[in-house]
Amino acid sequence: MRTLDQLFERSTRSLAQRTSRRSVLASLGQLLTGAALLPLLPVDRAGRADAAESKPRANGPEDCQYWKYCAIDGFLCSCCGGTSASCPPGTAASPISWIGTCHNAADGRDYIVSYNDCCGKSTCGTCDCVRNEGEKPIYRPSRNNDLNWCMANADVNYHCTVSVILGVAEK
Amino acid sequence: MRSAHLFCAALSWPLLAAHALAAPPPLPAERLTVERLPPRSPHWVYLYDYVFDNEIDARVYLFDGDSHRRLGQIGAGFYASINLSPDGGTTAVASTYFARGSRGARTDVVEFTDNSTLTVTHEILLPSKRALSVSSLFNIAYSADGRFLYAAYMTPAASFGVLDPAAGTVLGEIDTTGCVAVIPSGRYRVSSLCESGRLLTVSLDAQGHELARAMSEPFFDADQDPVFVQGIPSAHGNVFLSFLGQVHEIDFSGAQPTFSAPWSLVEGAEKGHWRPGANQVGAIHRELGRLYVPMHEGGEGTHKDGGTEIWVFDLASHRRLARWPLKVHGLSRATAIQVSQDPAPILFAATETADLAVFDALTGRLRHITRHVAQTPWMLLNP
Repeated sequence: MRTLDQLFERSTRSLAQRTSRRSVLASLGQLLTGAALLPLLPVDRAGRADAAESKPRANGPEDCQYWKYCAIDGFLCSCCGGTSASCPPGTAASPISWIGTCHNAADGRDYIVSYNDCCGKSTCGTCDCVRNEGEKPIYRPSRNNDLNWCMANADVNYHCTVSVILGVAEK
Repeated sequence: MRSAHLFCAALSWPLLAAHALAAPPPLPAERLTVERLPPRSPHWVYLYDYVFDNEIDARVYLFDGDSHRRLGQIGAGFYASINLSPDGGTTAVASTYFARGSRGARTDVVEFTDNSTLTVTHEILLPSKRALSVSSLFNIAYSADGRFLYAAYMTPAASFGVLDPAAGTVLGEIDTTGCVAVIPSGRYRVSSLCESGRLLTVSLDAQGHELARAMSEPFFDADQDPVFVQGIPSAHGNVFLSFLGQVHEIDFSGAQPTFSAPWSLVEGAEKGHWRPGANQVGAIHRELGRLYVPMHEGGEGTHKDGGTEIWVFDLASHRRLARWPLKVHGLSRATAIQVSQDPAPILFAATETADLAVFDALTGRLRHITRHVAQTPWMLLNP
């Protein structure tokens, strides 16, 4: 299995390094368990997330109906000491994740969203949010939210889930 | 005031004395014991409480569908996978524990509980690669003769472990090339669902080593209409339902699985509106050939929504026999169902608000509701 893991990681990294951001985003849903790409994609995710969350509003990041949560199943890190794109203090972000494609009504665009789990503490236990747009069973893991995506962390205990914008989904 | 109190006390004394004379004798001293289980009943069900708000403390409740009482509990730890031995005598729980409760060194282990005493008899230590996924009957499963126990692994590379429950050992690991779940059949085959819509079947020898493997033709389309992983054991194999309500009956009794032509749970105007959904999406009474499915009205993305009704089908004719709405009984959506296999069967339905309803499985008559039986009751098992 170690060999398979290494092969998986190598192929993912290699793909990210030799393709453009647009093509990666376009094919991400079909090909990858997305978050292995997180450190590699030159996308200003944090800036976008902050801009999106700067104004309090209905259906904001502590609300399960918030647009980025369209394929989430877990506890919203926004309610647990983190934000929709950052893990709570003292936890560790999962390096692997599942992805969804969510429509942002504010700008009319579809975005590829990476759902990473935050790990190392027991369940946050508040703001349980289950939405399953485009969610698939575990034989398609890159689109599955039933798995504990802390599975590859040093500490696999699950705490909460973030929703990180990877980029615009190409039509 | 003091004199008034004394006056009242004096007046009441004869009444108290008379009461003391008429009082029953005091209760006898009690002897502390530990309850023993009654003989096993076909109307028992093992209810898996995932305890979603505190996932490190899952458990299994043994519940009697006749007395409507909880009979006992089996600990299940974190992201547990559970199943019963073919003879019903043992509950296998594959779980993960942390050395210091919510943190610390990870231990993956299968614990075996004697179902006549609800005590853990022995365990098997697993490599730290157990599939950490929500409940299904195919995360851990016995061979039909109980010789092997198969445990799904995911790191996320997919494989499964072959265990010897009698010897308490791990015999080996079989790579499944991305296909998931351990669906046991025969002597000794393990099938897994693949993203391509195919079924991988690995044959093992008597020592648990791989003899051969075969890949079926695609029987579903993961893009257009994926099947739920939660297959339903049938008389000769398993039934897999699709998100849109297609019924895929797979016969596992031969050397290789064979696939019947799929048929639909929904017809006419129901199509596109009604669909199956739940954590445990169906149950089959194998002798009667009846299929019970929690159904709801909803669109894309509602496949985990529980059923507002339970629909009953005859597997031989594909005819719908009944629709049993739940709201009329004050019940929320059914998120897990199970049926007993005896001639007077009862149907269990666990709901999204954690009630457990018991129905006559032949007529749909409600027999009992136990309110708030668990926190998140996501799977029901019986032998």
